[in-house]
Amino acid sequence: MNALVALCHFCELHGPRTLFCTEAVHPPSPSPPQPGPAIPGDRDREADREGEGLTMRANSSATQRADMCEGCRSLPASHPGFVSVDSETGIRYLSHQHPRQQQLFSVVRQACVRSLSCEVCPGREGPIFFGDEQHGFVFSHTFFIKDSLARGFQRWYSIVVVAMDRIYLINSWPFLLRHLRLTIQSLQNTALKVFDSEQCVCPQRAVRMNSAFSPAVFPHQRSGNAARSLTSLTQHPNLWASLHSSFSWLLKACGSRLTEKLLEGAPTEDTLVLIERQTEQEEEMSGWEGAEGGGSNPQPSQSESVQAKDFQFDDTRQEDLLGPKFKSLRHLRQVLGASDFRQLAWHVLMGNQVMWRGADPGLIQSAFNVLKALLPVGCVRAIPYSPHYEEAYRCNFLGLSPDVPIPAHVSSSEFSVLVDVLNVERGCVNHVSDDDILSLYQFNISSANTQATDKGPTLLNKMEVALSNENLSVEVVSLCLLCLKEEWMNKVKVLFKFSKVDGRGKEDTQKVLALLGATGPGEEDNVRLLKFWMTGLSKLYKSHLMTAVRVGERTLSQ
Amino acid sequence: MPTLLQKLFSKRAVGNGNARDCSTAVEKCWASAEFDLAQIRLIVYQDCERRGRQVLFDSKAIHKLDASELTADETKTPPNRSGACHIGSQASEKDKPPTYQYTRPASDVNMLGEMMFGSVSMSYKGSTLKIHHIRSPPQLMVSKVFSTRFGSSTSGSTNTLQDSYESMSQTFPSHTSSIGVCRVPSAPLLCLARSASFFAAHSNPVDMPSRGHSEDGDSGIARSASLSSLLATPLPSPGSSFSSGCASSYQRRWHRSQATSLQHGPIPRWNTEEMFSLSDESCSSNPAMIRRKKIAISIIISLPEREEENHNFQEFFFSHFPLFESHMNKLKTAIERAMIVCRRIAESSQRVQVYLCRVMEALGEFRMTVWNLYMAPRISEPVWLSMISQSTERNPLCQRFLKEMSLLMDHGAKSQFLSALLTAVLTHHLAWVPTVMPSSLPPIKTTCQKPASQTVDLLAKSHPYNPLWAQLGDLYGALGSPVRVCRTVVVGRRRELVQRVLYILSYFIRCSDLQEHVQPQAQMENPANPCSSQTTDPTPEKTFPPKPDPLKPTACVIDKALNPEPFPGTSVEQNNHTLLTDTKSTNPSSSLESSTVRPGCAEMGQECFGEDSDSVGGGLEHILANQSPLLHRVQFHIGSPRETENEGQAGGLSGVGCGRGLDRKLHQRLLTDIRRNESSDSALGDSDDEETSQRELYMATEQKEYELPLPTCQVESRASVNHFGRSLLGGYCPQYMPDFALHGISSDLRLKQCLVSDLEHTVLHPALDEPVAEALCIVADTDRLSVQVVTSQRRVCEGGQLGRDVMVSNLVHTLITSVLQLYALNIASDFCVMHLEDRLQELYFKSRSLAEYLIGQTRVHVKELGLALGIESSDIPLLAAVASTHSPYVAQILL
Repeated sequence: MNALVALCHFCELHGPRTLFCTEAVHPPSPSPPQPGPAIPGDRDREADREGEGLTMRANSSATQRADMCEGCRSLPASHPGFVSVDSETGIRYLSHQHPRQQQLFSVVRQACVRSLSCEVCPGREGPIFFGDEQHGFVFSHTFFIKDSLARGFQRWYSIVVVAMDRIYLINSWPFLLRHLRLTIQSLQNTALKVFDSEQCVCPQRAVRMNSAFSPAVFPHQRSGNAARSLTSLTQHPNLWASLHSSFSWLLKACGSRLTEKLLEGAPTEDTLVLIERQTEQEEEMSGWEGAEGGGSNPQPSQSESVQAKDFQFDDTRQEDLLGPKFKSLRHLRQVLGASDFRQLAWHVLMGNQVMWRGADPGLIQSAFNVLKALLPVGCVRAIPYSPHYEEAYRCNFLGLSPDVPIPAHVSSSEFSVLVDVLNVERGCVNHVSDDDILSLYQFNISSANTQATDKGPTLLNKMEVALSNENLSVEVVSLCLLCLKEEWMNKVKVLFKFSKVDGRGKEDTQKVLALLGATGPGEEDNVRLLKFWMTGLSKLYKSHLMTAVRVGERTLSQ
Repeated sequence: MPTLLQKLFSKRAVGNGNARDCSTAVEKCWASAEFDLAQIRLIVYQDCERRGRQVLFDSKAIHKLDASELTADETKTPPNRSGACHIGSQASEKDKPPTYQYTRPASDVNMLGEMMFGSVSMSYKGSTLKIHHIRSPPQLMVSKVFSTRFGSSTSGSTNTLQDSYESMSQTFPSHTSSIGVCRVPSAPLLCLARSASFFAAHSNPVDMPSRGHSEDGDSGIARSASLSSLLATPLPSPGSSFSSGCASSYQRRWHRSQATSLQHGPIPRWNTEEMFSLSDESCSSNPAMIRRKKIAISIIISLPEREEENHNFQEFFFSHFPLFESHMNKLKTAIERAMIVCRRIAESSQRVQVYLCRVMEALGEFRMTVWNLYMAPRISEPVWLSMISQSTERNPLCQRFLKEMSLLMDHGAKSQFLSALLTAVLTHHLAWVPTVMPSSLPPIKTTCQKPASQTVDLLAKSHPYNPLWAQLGDLYGALGSPVRVCRTVVVGRRRELVQRVLYILSYFIRCSDLQEHVQPQAQMENPANPCSSQTTDPTPEKTFPPKPDPLKPTACVIDKALNPEPFPGTSVEQNNHTLLTDTKSTNPSSSLESSTVRPGCAEMGQECFGEDSDSVGGGLEHILANQSPLLHRVQFHIGSPRETENEGQAGGLSGVGCGRGLDRKLHQRLLTDIRRNESSDSALGDSDDEETSQRELYMATEQKEYELPLPTCQVESRASVNHFGRSLLGGYCPQYMPDFALHGISSDLRLKQCLVSDLEHTVLHPALDEPVAEALCIVADTDRLSVQVVTSQRRVCEGGQLGRDVMVSNLVHTLITSVLQLYALNIASDFCVMHLEDRLQELYFKSRSLAEYLIGQTRVHVKELGLALGIESSDIPLLAAVASTHSPYVAQILL
């Protein structure tokens, strides 16, 4: 808890004193520090500080030191104090006679004086809460400790818990009361035993009755013993170390008394797929390492994951490659022209194989990075640049060197599209900037597809609206694309559940498509998109739905 | 045939086979016992420098004279548990107010006065709060002591705050009391003072995109230039990164832990100059007129005799203290006004009557509110919290929830009642947003769809904040920027229908679930007991007899140097023994263990202890050469503080300038940096850099103290009962409640009377313990099928209506429709609820695009939003509110 605990004593000779103080020091934070530099470990200047922030005591600071007696002291001045570290959280619990921070010093002093000489508690023993924003808030519990040599055979102490969070401190009242009572009772009982044994040896009442009373001498009469330390009253050799432990524990336990269970949203399918891919690759790699003695190439997995994480935005990984690049979908669209772009994007969304053939791998890679953003991560299988053709089941994005032939079954298939990147006018390369891709290259798009690509899918139609609106920044467009993808991914989930998990009939499926808003113009394309995207669902999600059904069936049959 | 809902809310346990469902779902009363209104006593005390203390009011000393035709003396016959606790009606219906007799105050008032004011007068000017526990008879006393003020002069220049004053005075229009007392100017000024201090402390202007104010008639959204009320937002949070799951929740909590941190020393978070006004004359600003006079208002609650009831009430009282306090503040305002009003009456007996009458009325209201707070029925199985806490019950819960929702959808289909209600709830009770923000962590297996936030969990451990506070903010939807708090009241004569609405809303009004960790009752084992193990086991001293101690002479020398008075050597010796035994008596390997975690500090520890025990012959020189803490101390005393400070930081760390950013990532990076630094030697810290002082404090101490292991104690974890998630989701209540985040009532009569002043009070004295810009209340009427939002900011509404009708968000409407259509197609309800969450997540994503869109735009084109982002004008209030939880600038741009 963000608080400190202090043991205070009302000394018969010197009034209210702070004896022992345990603070919780939290790991440093990047928050701006408050005015007034903290001076750590500055206990030797305490004489200067002793009188600070006080309005009710007239003790001059110069005489303070001389006024110290054994009863006002816990650890000797030479003692460095105690520390306990909570290794889980990094919180350090520090105990000294006084807090180490200057502001806290006066706060504790104030709390001590108020608890022992200002606030009134019926019966003088018990809990009080008091405080204000300026001096902090205090939960105080006053109590007596038996002392055969003290006036009235007892001495008055208090334990104060000081915090700035008023509400938190008040909320913790029952907890603090319960546990401070344990601490107090334990001290009282221990002291009582000492008291009883001392009274047996030398009954003080008799001694006092017999000695002549003289008001002038009285305070000094017993000065040899009057200010007994709490250690001596309890005969507890490890008292301060034990109190340190108790107080540290109290602060920790009070801070963790209540814990929150706070849920966050389920990760997106893209995140899940990325995690799954990473795990797979790690497993694969460890397999390789076992076989080849660790000499394998870890590059693919790292680059893939880094790249995949950034996929929502334009990939920056390519920046180290020289040459012109596609920077965004909008850029690609400007370069290819609206109709070619539409055709290409359509093929991407339908899950057709998209091949780019050209001499500049950097450019092709950048095109893929931009186009990939149209798809869920789980639907992307890319081979950035290959010296030979790869089958469609292996990749839906394929980069090829200029002279690679396309097999006939592929070039005649309506499920593929080829973009040839042709160089133009090499002569004036020096004068054009990298941005001007069109002055360097020419793009030929060819596909055996005969279907119209201008009806659907709905996602693409909406996407084009955003892309063509120059008023929207690239960031807005990419967020817009993210929204659309998530929207359609959620439809994919429903369709998957409906058709694959529950195995519903065609009629019902049509109803679901209608309620998902996938029907109407472009329906055919929408359905194709949904079916393709289903392959991109994470394994975790699919298996969750499957098991949920099985569990459901079991409960139904019971 | 009883519907499912009747069973759910039925007060009688149904004796059929399905008893389990019913017993868990019964709408329960909070209290375990009766609570008597007479248990609450009010004392008003005055402490004057010249005239001493005077009791100005003691409810125990007051007797009502004409109790005959009254409903009854409400202190004598408390309402029964299920019945209503009606107030407010008698005063308006009766022609004559009751007459009171004031007798001699009870004998304990002197003692109580001592407790309220303390035995020594405090010089502190602001208001103070005290809580006392009186043992016999068992009572709790809460007192607030105010300095008094004649007139309403507040110091400080107002001209720089003209804007805030204007907006605030709009927010808090003049209070016109029923007997024709005109405006009490203290209220707006009070809030001005608060806002002034607040501006000074936290104002962190956000860069505003410059934009023209002209509209092009096309489709722009009108924006007002006045942002002053919106600027009153505490600690605007920096933009959060996209992938961070609970970013906004995290930041709220992080700010809280920092704002209430003790490490920064006391920084008043509020203006504490709240005073007690004794006059409404606005011109008597002569400071000489202000005499030293204090007024204490004290509420004394008699605790139940039975131990268990006593315990329960105290647990409730302390966990719900902010609500009690807020009502006390309301009481204070009423007393203040009663005093001012009665001053105008010349005739003394009449003056006393008016005063007593008004204070008694206010006390009656306070008693009633407390009684209701404690006794009103609650939704015993709020859907969201139940889903979080009982994952095994998920399927039946989902089924029930969807069934109720589809029934309600059918019921209010024509008026789009459910869509309007959910639009309002999702717009204002914003705690659902973090629960759909995608996590970057995989879900924990398949049992739970949503992962628990680990970042928040870690934060709670390393920088504890008050989870109850966090929960209260969640329930009131105080997640956005500016901070707004909202409640929802469902009104309707048909109990079943109202309960259905409440049940459904308990899914959408979300908060974190709280767990309590308690120590078992075995008391001697408890680490709070400092004398347990030592008293029973004195062996350490015998096993490790004190060795000749090289430290001892040094200690004495130093002590002499510091302190001319001879210090008893025995004490030093004793304490050194303490050290030895402490380290030895604990697990000897503990220091080794810790060395793996933090080598630096363990090394130091070994030095301390190692020299102690091993190098008997080493002596003083050796220790001095090793830079022991003692030497350091001597140097410190002799040399200049600055030099020694630098030397003392041998194990310090590099001074990383942290800047003002409270960004989460930065924070985490710093944490890891620190861990790294702890495990390796690093450069000297730059002690001139003020920003490192916190770290210096953290690190500089590392090398000095003797390390002891942190005691552990077994804890039992259980679902906490006394938390707001359980207590502020009310059931069908007999009367309107000002505190509940959600509840139902049969008639809006009292709601209409109180709501506006309640909302104003909420802004002035938020139970949330942080400044609030606006208080809202969603009023859903199931009889008229209307949904309105009432705000503290606009009081006058057309047609005598309480608030404004809610515009149905198209996104929300399609969301509900498609979820319910899926349900109608017999898709597993569990899946439908998952789909609902997915769709809510879509709203979140949309809000991100809206926020991004607003950054770059000089004009907001609704058409453009619709075409490109799928956002219609009806969706903008909702999405802007959602966006304000992650992008604080949004509200300012859209206003």
